[in-house]
Amino acid sequence: MIKTSTQNELIQYVYNELADDAFEQLEVALVQDKELAASCSELLLMQQLLDDAAKAPRQQAIDNILNYSKSLSLQSN
Amino acid sequence: MNTSTLISDSALVSLYIAGKESAFEQLVNRHKNKVYTTIFLIVKDSYTAEDLLQDTFIKAIHTMKGGRYNEEGKFSSWICRIAHNLAIDHFRKEKRSPMITLEDGSNVFNNMSFSEDSAESVQIKEDTHARLRELIQTLPQTQREVLMMRHYAEMSFQEIADATGVSINTALGRMRYALINLRKKMQNNNIAYDKNLYSE
Repeated sequence: MIKTSTQNELIQYVYNELADDAFEQLEVALVQDKELAASCSELLLMQQLLDDAAKAPRQQAIDNILNYSKSLSLQSN
Repeated sequence: MNTSTLISDSALVSLYIAGKESAFEQLVNRHKNKVYTTIFLIVKDSYTAEDLLQDTFIKAIHTMKGGRYNEEGKFSSWICRIAHNLAIDHFRKEKRSPMITLEDGSNVFNNMSFSEDSAESVQIKEDTHARLRELIQTLPQTQREVLMMRHYAEMSFQEIADATGVSINTALGRMRYALINLRKKMQNNNIAYDKNLYSE
């Protein structure tokens, strides 16, 4: 059973928010504890799925934004 | 190698304020998907999300060009917070209840690139991503909020804790449960979860 504090550290670890000393301790624990390593693997996989699930807007919307910015620059010149 | 990706957001903001339009283009291209997804997960409509995406960046343009951009904090968190607020405002104006809607036809505008993959694996991935976005909508509100703030708006857990008035441990716990629940929901819905599809 993984302690709640360790599980929270695991979340901070996969989101790269763990302080250096805790980071090193957790990496040692990941090598020694298969259950912890499996949890970490699952979190990383979900993280990647969420990254890949990000949607992209149509290029026309991006062009509108860039053209608006350029038009403001032209007005101020 | 494209060295332009190595320029930090804050440097790009400075260049843009100094008049370099190409710096703004890099900023937009770097953050458009996460900003758009942040909005889409709230309004659940591609066209509305694109309108609000444009409003978000127009607001950012005026803030930066007006000399009111505060360099404290990350650009990504700032722009996603604007997007989040505009999406919530839109929601309130429309007086829509936060119903769970499915993404019928949403793949039309979903141009994630997997050109190196087979047509079948591309379809599996696209289906998985669409279903995953649907499942995010079914999470308890507190978990969904933390997931969106951390994963798409790129706020730190401490920033999320401050913004939502909870301890950092509560924010971390909500994120943990959000990810665990999403995983369970994917299994319960028989959604493709093939690790081989996601291995590098």
